[in-house]
Amino acid sequence: MTLLELSGVTASYGPVQVLDGVSLTVPEGGSVGILGANGAGKTTTLRAISGTVRTGGRISFAGRDIRGLRPDQVAALGVAHVPEGRGTLAQLTVRENLRVGAYLRKSRKAIAEDLDYCLDLFPQLQDRIGSRAAALSGGEQQMLAVARAFMAKPKLLLLDEASLGLAPSTAKSVYAAIRRLRLESGIAMLVVEQNANLAFSIVDSATVLETGRNVLTGSSAELKGMDEIRRAYLGG
Amino acid sequence: MGTLSSVGRRRPAHFRNRWLRPALIVVVAVVLIAAPLGLPAFANQTLVRVGVYAVAVLGLNIVMGYTGQVNLGQIFFVGLGAYVTAYGVTQGWNILLVFLAACAIAGLVGLLVALAAARLGGLAIAMVTIALPIVGVPLAKRLSDVTGGSQGISASFSNAPDWSGLFTDQWQYYIVLLVTAAAFLLARQLMRGKYGRAFSVVRANEAVAMSMGISPYRTKVLAFTIASIFGGASGFLYLAAVQYTSPETLSFGHSISLVAAMVIGGGGSILGSLIGGAYYVFVPQWTNTIDPNFTTVSQGVILLAVLFLLPEGLVSLPRVVRRLTRRATARPALKNPPQSTPAQPPTMEAAPEGLETTERHDRS
Amino acid sequence: MGTFIQLVVDGLSTGSIYAALALAIVLVNQATGLINFAQGGIAVLSAYIAFEFVRLGLPLILAILLAIVASFFLGALVERFLIRRFERGDQDTAVVVTIGLLTLVTGICALIWGYNNQQFPSLFPLTSVDVLGAVVSVRSLATTGTILVIMAVLQVLFLRTKLGLALRAVADNPGSAAFSGLPVGRLLMVGWGLAAALGAIAGVLVGPQLTLTPGMLDTALVYALAAVILGGLDSPIGAVVAAWAIGILENLVSVYVPFIGHDLKIAVPFALIFVILIVRPQGLFGRKVVVRV
Repeated sequence: MTLLELSGVTASYGPVQVLDGVSLTVPEGGSVGILGANGAGKTTTLRAISGTVRTGGRISFAGRDIRGLRPDQVAALGVAHVPEGRGTLAQLTVRENLRVGAYLRKSRKAIAEDLDYCLDLFPQLQDRIGSRAAALSGGEQQMLAVARAFMAKPKLLLLDEASLGLAPSTAKSVYAAIRRLRLESGIAMLVVEQNANLAFSIVDSATVLETGRNVLTGSSAELKGMDEIRRAYLGG
Repeated sequence: MGTLSSVGRRRPAHFRNRWLRPALIVVVAVVLIAAPLGLPAFANQTLVRVGVYAVAVLGLNIVMGYTGQVNLGQIFFVGLGAYVTAYGVTQGWNILLVFLAACAIAGLVGLLVALAAARLGGLAIAMVTIALPIVGVPLAKRLSDVTGGSQGISASFSNAPDWSGLFTDQWQYYIVLLVTAAAFLLARQLMRGKYGRAFSVVRANEAVAMSMGISPYRTKVLAFTIASIFGGASGFLYLAAVQYTSPETLSFGHSISLVAAMVIGGGGSILGSLIGGAYYVFVPQWTNTIDPNFTTVSQGVILLAVLFLLPEGLVSLPRVVRRLTRRATARPALKNPPQSTPAQPPTMEAAPEGLETTERHDRS
Repeated sequence: MGTFIQLVVDGLSTGSIYAALALAIVLVNQATGLINFAQGGIAVLSAYIAFEFVRLGLPLILAILLAIVASFFLGALVERFLIRRFERGDQDTAVVVTIGLLTLVTGICALIWGYNNQQFPSLFPLTSVDVLGAVVSVRSLATTGTILVIMAVLQVLFLRTKLGLALRAVADNPGSAAFSGLPVGRLLMVGWGLAAALGAIAGVLVGPQLTLTPGMLDTALVYALAAVILGGLDSPIGAVVAAWAIGILENLVSVYVPFIGHDLKIAVPFALIFVILIVRPQGLFGRKVVVRV
């Protein structure tokens, strides 16, 4: 079952065309990566899905056309976007950030259980549960952002450059936690990542974008084997 | 580009002819100089008042339209200039000295206010300047030795001297014309030079200004001081025209009217300041004749209408009309030609949530 | 001593009015990053609405409650239809919009009810009590008490309810809050509605004392802005404390410093601001602002 489908999606910021016909699908429970250099349109693709940039083309989620919906409406359908730069609610505490994540949910019990799960997934957050988010380190903020997105119990998680600005070891542990999250919850994911090694650790397949278009698509195994990918993204 | 600023727009096509511009300037100059000789006294007096407030609005524009600092106290400096002028005249000072004193004292006070207020950043200048007229009125009433208290001061220095062969209204006109023209030319030169550029950068993004080596604090202080000097000059002209000043001159309501006049005329535009001055003189007068109670409401409605429909002020009207007609003729197939004023995205709800949805930069 | 206590209590009372307006200003600023110069004007309109309800025969308390509810909706509608468009553009443009709104609202009040002073009945009895040997008006005590109650209510709202959490999230990062499904637009409307309601409370509390005129809260707004500057734009507690301080100080100065007296006491908070800003630019309670490029 296809959960998310993009078909010929275009987007522009004013006169600048950033997406020029991007297509991809994410199956239910599947995990797809978006690779590419800076400026290729990876982040814009995620923004197109979550409704923060105006687009052309077709975007459907769980069979419904979601183009033109507001970001909060898209979120209500089960899409959780962890933006580039984390988007943590800086003046709120860690606990409050997580509670905001669960805003649309009703069951107090289930929310409490998921909160405990998040703290188990990211033990560093447990230590900082009462601190303001602004006081957290980059890695901790990234974990908080992912945890907050998870608290919404989404069907699809949009992850934008989760390794940005993090030390390699921190990025690795963040990705390890995300991998565990995926295995234990079966959440579908669309992962934008410049570091292809990290991306391949959590995605089944990927598409490579260049100047707003798909240039290469395939399973992780296939792509990892290709010379171009190895040279451009995996360090030869 | 902000809505209060039309800085940097292209000159329309018909101004590109090399000879047209200087010829136009000469014609305008001749008309301005010859006009009072033919016009009735009342018309001259009205034009004089337009000049007075145009200078005040121009000063306001420098600190608010160009530098983006909301100044709710400009009328205070006008009043201050008027009071200094009245005092100087009653003391028998040389008129040139009086003019300089009006400008200098207003500028000095402006400098002091700015030095404190500009430190806060953000809307602090707006929040502080609101106090100026509100403190100014009781202060003017209290210092009655100097200001004549609630009664105000009468001072007349602009009666036409015999050797000129002119009537008083004509003589006043020339005084005002001289100062107003000088003020506008000075402002134009400033805004086109490095100061104008510094003002624009600080307005757009203070962090970027800092990275360019421009100190936002100093720039704001400078802009505010210049605005106060222009305010003082306007006060001098006010006294020349009205020959009387009182605490009422610098009341809070007038301050708001000046801001409204600036926005309606055209923020960030030299010509817009002139239109603003004219608006200030004509429109409230006109609405008062319809119904005094109606004036305030209409002022509010007009200001809001301009902000929504024509944010760069009346001065941008020709440009907007041209753009609308060009779009209508270029694409007749379009059922609803898009508005040329700030693009309204189809779903307004998207505005606060979206990160990039409403790009207010794409104005054309 | 008696006079002193009287002045302090009255100062707390007027300070409480400034505090209500200051809280409204801080609330709106936190949520949308704007200073709403029409805050006082909307408050006055609400007071007039209550006045009208009383004229129609409703009991005072009901009229006041209805006016507060009406102003909530008024504030919400203002955000949605007037302000929303300017929220993400230049700050100075948005401020001029609020100034235009102020003019409009003042004009509407003048058009409907005229410029003459209208008598507004007092919610609290106009009696006095004896406090430590001073004669203190019940109204002053009750006004101060009302603000304390409001502050407590707001505290509970913002720190312990889901709505309060949502409002704070939107104020912190509206784009990111939307990603968690928060209806940002609607929450902004609630924020402005709350601010307007706060202003309405200020209006009906001070109405009896000042008598209703369209410009009734112009001076109070100026004091409220001074309180916000002193208290720091991001600190509700700071704004309230500063407002009380201003209220008390202006009273004391007007009596004990005859040079300043009653007419020039408005200069006091600003002289204070002038001095404090030189030393501490972010205000007494505010946090230093960090600007990211």
